[in-house]
Amino acid sequence: MIRYLVATAAFLPGITVMDARADGDPVSGERVFQYCYSCHSVQPGETNLQGPNLHGIVGRRIASQEGFSYSPALRALARQEERWSEALLDRYLAAPYTAVPKTSMAFPGVKAQDERADLIAFLRTMGGPD
Amino acid sequence: MLSASPGTLALLAFLTLTGSGYAQQSQQVFPLPEGAYPHDVAPAPDGKVWYSAQRNGALGILDPSTGQSREIKLGPKSAPHGVIQGPDGAAWLTDSGQNAIVRVDPQTEKVQVWKLPEDTGYTNLNTAVFDKDGMHWFTGQNGFYGRLDPSSGELKVWKAPRGRGPYGITATPEGDVYYASLAGNHIARIDKATGEATVIEPPTKGQGARRVWSDSKGRIWVSEWNAGQLGLYDSKTNAWREWKLPGDKPQAYAVYVDDSDIVWVSDWGADAILSFDPATEQFTSYPMSEADANVRQILGRPGEVWLPESGTDRLMVIRTARQSQ
Repeated sequence: MIRYLVATAAFLPGITVMDARADGDPVSGERVFQYCYSCHSVQPGETNLQGPNLHGIVGRRIASQEGFSYSPALRALARQEERWSEALLDRYLAAPYTAVPKTSMAFPGVKAQDERADLIAFLRTMGGPD
Repeated sequence: MLSASPGTLALLAFLTLTGSGYAQQSQQVFPLPEGAYPHDVAPAPDGKVWYSAQRNGALGILDPSTGQSREIKLGPKSAPHGVIQGPDGAAWLTDSGQNAIVRVDPQTEKVQVWKLPEDTGYTNLNTAVFDKDGMHWFTGQNGFYGRLDPSSGELKVWKAPRGRGPYGITATPEGDVYYASLAGNHIARIDKATGEATVIEPPTKGQGARRVWSDSKGRIWVSEWNAGQLGLYDSKTNAWREWKLPGDKPQAYAVYVDDSDIVWVSDWGADAILSFDPATEQFTSYPMSEADANVRQILGRPGEVWLPESGTDRLMVIRTARQSQ
């Protein structure tokens, strides 16, 4: 609902809106997170899954979970882009293999922009960067 | 329709004399359409080979005699993880994108879709197997396993003990069904009458049991991802054995047992395929077509072991010629 109100407000004079999709809906995002759930945890310290823990991923240094065996592709990304900005996360989540060729993550991506916004909104509520 | 040119077909062939008793093997590599991302592979009944084109949302069909391949789209949001051949000769896919079981008729190419019940939610469908009675069993990595009766269309889904993790699945010649739980670090046997799954713990804690495959005796071979080991569970004696893969940092992803009871494992740590002869307990290594080939599953038919290279958009076959004794 919030995103529709914001989108409507963009047409009203005197009101500045940055991006109708930027905020997303964390409640819906938790449902979108089911795509990630089997391999990623958002609970602090839970590191026994196949993918890195995503607690505090928004703004976190790329490939920075201690002890996790990142692919060469993710380590190369970390040398180019220091942190997981929301824009970079959005690009990666849309098509992981396009954004980071040779990533070992098989997940084909979240095609719908509103679902990605919701997912990032959810991840934003799951702690901040270290 | 996407296709790959047979003109680019590459052939790697060499002779080896191995501890597994194989006198001669050749490896052949087949390029697929760009972006195919073959997750799993399955021999088709007509000599062709199917693959699950996960990123193209399609069933891929390779004709090894020509090197030509093409893909059949499976539906909106499709992202198939696994593909197997059913007893009806059709391709059966576990489509995580559609949260559905999908069948493709090889003659008509008609696509049938069985969506999982809405109230189940997103299961992250993984892999499937048919038991000897023709029932289709599947896993959902978000913490589910289930059964589809192809004759009636009845679909049942159960929550897995210990939640997320169900990954590879296999059926023994006797008809028992086992799956591996990657996040749960165990294998489980499904009671087909009640649907209840019983957890069976490998000796190594936190081993990451990823895939399972039965040999001709009904023993269950397990690829242990975290531990970099090959496991063996014998249900008749309730005994386990485990072997560490060679190399510094092995990661055992896929496991398959061929018609000669030779065990095949993909090792991401070494970027290689290993065969393991249970008689000699020796591993033999085979290279992939390039680094980070990322073989996620293995299947075959007599004389052929097929390997989907998800990281290179290629399929590889190892042709095995049994040494005369």
